Amino acid sequence: MAYSQCFSVSLSHTNTHTHTYALSLSLSLSLSLSLSLPSLSVSLFLLSLSLSSFSLSLPSLSLFLLSLSLSLSLSLSLSLSLSLSLSLSLSVSVSLSFPPSLSTFQTEHKMSIEECCRKFNTDIVQGLTNAKAAEFLIRDGPNCLTPPPTTPEWIKFCRQLFGGFSILLWTGAILCFLAYAIQAATEDEPAGDNLYLGIVLSVVVVVTGCFSYFQEAKSSKIMESFKNMVPQQALVIREGEKMTINAEEVVAGDLVEVKGGDRIPADLRVVSAHGCKVDNSSLTGESEPQSRSPDCTHDNPLETRNVAFFSTNCVEGTARGIVVCTGDRTVMGRIATLTSGLESGKTPIAKEIEHFIHLITGVAVFLGITFFILAVCLGYTWLEAVIFLIGIIVANVPEGLLATVTVCLTLTAKRMAKKNCLVKNLEAVETLGSTSTICSDKTGTLTQNRMTVAHMWFDNQIHEADTTEDQSGASFDKTSASWAALARVAALCNRAVFKAGQDQLPILKRDTAGDASESALLKCIELSCGSVKQIREKNKKVAEIPFNSTNKYQLSVHETEDPNDNRYLLVMKGAPERILDRCTTIIIQGKEQPMDEEMKESFQNAYMELGGLGERVLGFCHLLMPEDQYPKGFAFDCDDVNFTTESLCFVGLMSMIDPPRAAVPDAVGKCRSAGIKVIMVTGDHPITAKAIAKGVGIISEGNETVEDIASRLNIPVSQVNPRDAKACVIHGTDLKELSQDQMDDILRNHTEIVFARTSPQQKLIIVEGCQRLGAIVAVTGDGVNDSPALKKADIGVAMGISGSDVSKQAADMILLDDNFASIVTGVEEGRLIFDNLKKSIAYTLTSNIPEITPFLLFIIVNIPLPLGTITILCIDLGTDMVPAISLAYEAAESDIMKRQPRNPTRDKLVNERLISIAYGQIGMIQALGGFFSYFVILAENGFLPSILVGIRLNWDDRACNDLEDSYGQQWTYEQRKIVEFTCHTAFFVSIVVVQWADVIVCKTRRNSVFQQGMKNKILIFGLFEETALAAFLSYTPGIHLHKQIDIDIHLHKQTYIYTNR
Amino acid sequence: MAKDAEKSTWKDFIWNSRTREFCGRTGSSWGLILLFYLVFYIFLAGMFCLTMYVMLQTLDDYKPTWQDRLGTPGMMIRPRGKAMEISYNTTNTETWDMYIKTLDNFLSPYNNSLQAEKNEECTPDQYFVQADSGDVKNNPKRSCQFNRTFLEKCSGLDDHTYGYQAGKPCIIIKLNRVIGMLPGKDGQAPFVTCGAKRYKVGKDEWKEDSDKIGEVEYYPENGTFNLMYYPYYGKKAQVNYSQPLVAIKFLNITLNEDINIECRIISNNIPPGSVRDKFAGKVSFKLRINTKG
Repeated sequence: MAYSQCFSVSLSHTNTHTHTYALSLSLSLSLSLSLSLPSLSVSLFLLSLSLSSFSLSLPSLSLFLLSLSLSLSLSLSLSLSLSLSLSLSLSVSVSLSFPPSLSTFQTEHKMSIEECCRKFNTDIVQGLTNAKAAEFLIRDGPNCLTPPPTTPEWIKFCRQLFGGFSILLWTGAILCFLAYAIQAATEDEPAGDNLYLGIVLSVVVVVTGCFSYFQEAKSSKIMESFKNMVPQQALVIREGEKMTINAEEVVAGDLVEVKGGDRIPADLRVVSAHGCKVDNSSLTGESEPQSRSPDCTHDNPLETRNVAFFSTNCVEGTARGIVVCTGDRTVMGRIATLTSGLESGKTPIAKEIEHFIHLITGVAVFLGITFFILAVCLGYTWLEAVIFLIGIIVANVPEGLLATVTVCLTLTAKRMAKKNCLVKNLEAVETLGSTSTICSDKTGTLTQNRMTVAHMWFDNQIHEADTTEDQSGASFDKTSASWAALARVAALCNRAVFKAGQDQLPILKRDTAGDASESALLKCIELSCGSVKQIREKNKKVAEIPFNSTNKYQLSVHETEDPNDNRYLLVMKGAPERILDRCTTIIIQGKEQPMDEEMKESFQNAYMELGGLGERVLGFCHLLMPEDQYPKGFAFDCDDVNFTTESLCFVGLMSMIDPPRAAVPDAVGKCRSAGIKVIMVTGDHPITAKAIAKGVGIISEGNETVEDIASRLNIPVSQVNPRDAKACVIHGTDLKELSQDQMDDILRNHTEIVFARTSPQQKLIIVEGCQRLGAIVAVTGDGVNDSPALKKADIGVAMGISGSDVSKQAADMILLDDNFASIVTGVEEGRLIFDNLKKSIAYTLTSNIPEITPFLLFIIVNIPLPLGTITILCIDLGTDMVPAISLAYEAAESDIMKRQPRNPTRDKLVNERLISIAYGQIGMIQALGGFFSYFVILAENGFLPSILVGIRLNWDDRACNDLEDSYGQQWTYEQRKIVEFTCHTAFFVSIVVVQWADVIVCKTRRNSVFQQGMKNKILIFGLFEETALAAFLSYTPGIHLHKQIDIDIHLHKQTYIYTNR
Repeated sequence: MAKDAEKSTWKDFIWNSRTREFCGRTGSSWGLILLFYLVFYIFLAGMFCLTMYVMLQTLDDYKPTWQDRLGTPGMMIRPRGKAMEISYNTTNTETWDMYIKTLDNFLSPYNNSLQAEKNEECTPDQYFVQADSGDVKNNPKRSCQFNRTFLEKCSGLDDHTYGYQAGKPCIIIKLNRVIGMLPGKDGQAPFVTCGAKRYKVGKDEWKEDSDKIGEVEYYPENGTFNLMYYPYYGKKAQVNYSQPLVAIKFLNITLNEDINIECRIISNNIPPGSVRDKFAGKVSFKLRINTKG
């Protein structure tokens, strides 16, 4: 079949012979097929059974070959690349130092209000004058964060065009043009193939460059959509008048008023506040709202009560403050600036590709130089030898690989987006796969970011509430009269309400107005006892004392449900110990009993236990007020309390926690079996952090911290050997005092680590510490405080829903559903793409050998050229493409999430082992297959192998038209050239056929093809497509032969001159 | 510190004296790898040789499997000149001396004495068929004499300069050997005819030098290839085969000018060759004879 395809243009009368050719070719096929079977011992006997045998021998392939492989020729290139990568690592290890500004930036909180006013030329009542405000606005600029310098589109485009792998192809193209220039300068009619090759290479780079550019542009568009375009408003007082202006126009010295629900427009020095609480979680990571007041409570501006920060939220209450900083000078602005100042390192895949380029270049240069020397020794001119050198180097460039890699990465990025991982940078797709440490934020990522009632204590017993997102968890006994009382207190002594218009939503999804813990209570009661609104309507509120930090309780007085009962009901909740102090009785099974010591002790135990779970515990009590003292219509005075708040009846405890997400424990378990260390880094309290860590398995069951061991053995902490504890919880203040060595020691020796109360800087230190130990670190986070760490990490993962814009900008990947479990999917996809890229590359590289050996033998032993340049391009950019890409669709091998993360220093994408198998083994087999069909074609036409050696000079001499073959017949130039092109086609088809086997060999790394199966539909399609394309290229009249002849006439013009010299 | 580490790593990589590793591997590891590759490549080579041997066994010793490329036999001239250009100066012996030598060498096997010794006289104008009888090969096959004297004035026997000195050069034309080819049917022998070649001088502008060629003489008479020299049975069966020749002599060609000449075979049995192939059934060359010093 291969025979006739070449002739189809000029001759149609050869058909009679074709079937015999098909026979001889099929012999060569079966040879090459069976040879491709990696198991040598088997293939000897299976020559005739070629197809059925290779699946048999596959499993043994990897073991056998892996253990024994390294090709000699590589040592040079290896060492080359090694030295290069080492010099690179030098430049990377620049240590990061923090600007000291964060801790020393503000002193306003320590000044008195008057001083502050003086400093900003403002007035505590009147505010700034309009003129002053305008002046300051011009001086300081608008109050907004300078967006990080966006890279111009054309630079992004150029990066795609000239980054990484493209460089290799560009070099190849330039060499081609160079070779063409040399030829053009020295010959009248230069050979066109170097020019064509150069053009094709350039086109390939440009096309794939455009492709990946548009791919990234797409994901950055999604990024844009995250940005909140609604302009923020702020209420300022200027010249004594309240006015609403754009938050951007706020200037230092402005008097600003904020109320619950507002976003704070700038850094404020609070001058007056009424029950004001702010949510600083995006800045400090603390999930609980913090109250604000005019008094300075701490030297550290981040801790003091009288400063409210830009872009945090006011949760409730009102406050008035003087603006002390705007825009980039705010705390938030400084962190954002810090982030953009950080350099993120190269992605692992970029390093891998760099390493790959070194390897390939090494091999290419080594081969090129060797054959350059050989060519010179064989008597070629210098110029010819240089052309050969360039030819060999270029022939080593895998033209199709760039496109394959890009398409593979894009496919995976799309697949990840479907699973809620949006990848901003294509190369980051693989990074997750090589991740060995994940530093996860707690709030929102591991937890639901929603306070929920977790436990209750009544009837001297701890009851567990259902904390799952879908209410699938355990329930408790709700029949007890004590529970009814507790629920009533929790419902009444509660200011939280559901926002209007959410009746259709499930209770847990509804938005509430009010404090997080009150909302948790509200939802809990609504779930178990029905409408809280009705309860409140039945028990009208008469008086109320809101929570304050001195009393540590909140109380309200209500009418009772029973219209005949004129007594008032006093309900109170607050810090459990304070509540207990006020109680003399306790409800057990609905009956009031005196509070005895035994009861107090069991209360203490319950309180300690719940507190130890990291839960926030509230105590509840009530009192039916005696009608004689407090008759109907009694005027309760809340400011000057004129009623009893003592000798109440204790009802119970309720404890709340931000519960872990349902899928997280499983995901953490998967990470662990995948050899990934999960570290929790949070701004929250150590106890809470530890409780959640235990809940999700970051601290696994049975593992103890040093403190746990100490308390179990009843010895001081200092006597415990730290090596005994696998887990540890480290407080931010302790972290501050650790030296680098101690830090390394902790990271190395503890498998389960929780960092609590950490600041943004410390987060960064933790990430750097892990990287110093050689880990590839993924960091998740949502707040602004996380963004430096996100940027520094090998892969930063931001939260799509709760994440701040700054964090999203700093991250490489965005979890659209904020779920930690999505990361695990990402890890799996990342590992899969690494495996599949490896397979793709092995597949693509293999055909390099059968492509380059014909040229080498052409030079060295002077046989007619077995494979032409255009045919090589047909393989690299034609038939090999779809099968190579189809390997990206290959399903994961069984152990993908059970093995350790790859070691970035040893487990390279392309290593000597891969090259050894691809080039040294399979490639050689393929080359032999190709040469066999080449010799068959020539021998059957009369040129036996014995006369081929050295025939090239006459063969390519256009003036020699009576070249004698082995039988004594004489050939004209054109006649033998047609036979030569038939050889090219036969060689080409042989490569296509051996690539069938190769794609099946490359399909699996560890599994056998039987375990893996042939379920990859794209791969099966690829096999057919490859074959159809090969048939099309071979049989279609006009497209193959003409080009070949024109080009080869040029190609051999040069040798023709040489021969006739 | 990083620099030191790099240095030592680099040195360690080549020769790590601690682990006795060369390029990251110990001696035994390298040995195993080399052994593996040695065995592997020996096996591959053996496999390849085996398949090649099997393939060669399928071939016939006397006739190639396919000859369809050779449907139209090629033609060639002697002397070949430099890229089919024969140019010389009559006054300068050195410029044509090499042509004389080429022709002398080429014609020496045709010396009458040699021909008489090795080959036999055949019946002219009919094919000299020596069929095999079934599997019994009729070998070696005999060949017909082609005596040098058949070329008369171009034999180089009378005029050992083949007319080059006189500006009346001889060119010898031969038809490529093709096993089993019968170049004419109905007893009509193929013959050579030479004329001017049309050649391109510009876009859509053609030129030919027919008026400059002058008179041409053919030896043997009419420039025929006698049928008795066909069919050819191949190098192995017909060891002493003498390829028939036709000589042409230009009697009064225009001097000091490039002249493009094309000779073709005229036969009722040879298909016209491909347009692309300039040497299938025809041969063209350029002749330039200078007379001025």
